[in-house]
Amino acid sequence: MQNRSRLPLALRGAAVAVLLAGLGTWVATGAHRGWTQTSAVTMQKDEITGIDYPVRRDAFVAGVEIPLAAAGLAAVLAGLSFVSRRRPVAGLTPAAQS
Amino acid sequence: MNTTTLRSSLRLAFAFSAATAAAVAAPLSFDFKDPKGVNNVQFKLDAPLEAITGTATGISGKVSFDPAKPGATTGTIVLDAKSLTVGNPMMGDHLRSDQWLDVAKHPTITFEAVSLGNVRTQGTATTAEVTGKLTVKGVTKDVKVPVSLTYLADKLGARVNDPKVKGDLLVLRANFEINRSDFGIKPGQATDKVAETIQLSLSIAGAAPRA
Repeated sequence: MQNRSRLPLALRGAAVAVLLAGLGTWVATGAHRGWTQTSAVTMQKDEITGIDYPVRRDAFVAGVEIPLAAAGLAAVLAGLSFVSRRRPVAGLTPAAQS
Repeated sequence: MNTTTLRSSLRLAFAFSAATAAAVAAPLSFDFKDPKGVNNVQFKLDAPLEAITGTATGISGKVSFDPAKPGATTGTIVLDAKSLTVGNPMMGDHLRSDQWLDVAKHPTITFEAVSLGNVRTQGTATTAEVTGKLTVKGVTKDVKVPVSLTYLADKLGARVNDPKVKGDLLVLRANFEINRSDFGIKPGQATDKVAETIQLSLSIAGAAPRA
């Protein structure tokens, strides 16, 4: 009985954690509006010619799909928490008791 | 020193001066293949739903430039379309695929400078409007591009870190825009995610070594 009441709470806690992790990752890597990037560019200057040139390095920059996917997963987890709460419990139904 | 020797010396000096003047006055051929990988093109597409930025460094080509007559500059710059890179590898694959630039079939993007107008020179720097032919995805269009040229005499040795190497550098910079539909790149499609206007920024240096 106690385990059953803890499940919805655990699912909702997980939903909040997933949502915050997705949003946090997106904001922490620069809140990039496009898709996820696996490299980033830093500019350097060639001393002789004065040309600014890009140097590409490996970097993870979360795109908008990360918080969107996190929000979707969080919604599923939150939805499951309500389903699990409403599911009738075998052995405790009126028919079983009578 | 007798008269004959003096005449010979004067002739030699004159011939040397004339040869030097001719050498200086002749247009120089600048090679834009850059082993340092500094030459670059940056591009940006700012669509309502997504901004795409990228770079390309596979640049080659030759430009004929006369420091005494910058307005007579001509040449061709070639970009290896496979060198176009964006931060998302999957997007890069799409960009190079037959759906967009089709780099397998059209491996180069070419700009041929035909003439210069509105030429203004101040010291070693020249600004002008280049009229030329831009070829993207096999489609050639006449374009006018504002460009700046900076002539750096005797700077090649410093650039390659070898003082024994003699030669000059020519730096070209240009910022301009093109429309992808003009070049048959999915005209009118996916404009909410891939902007119709492509902003281009070109910064390249060519070398003209001297023997």
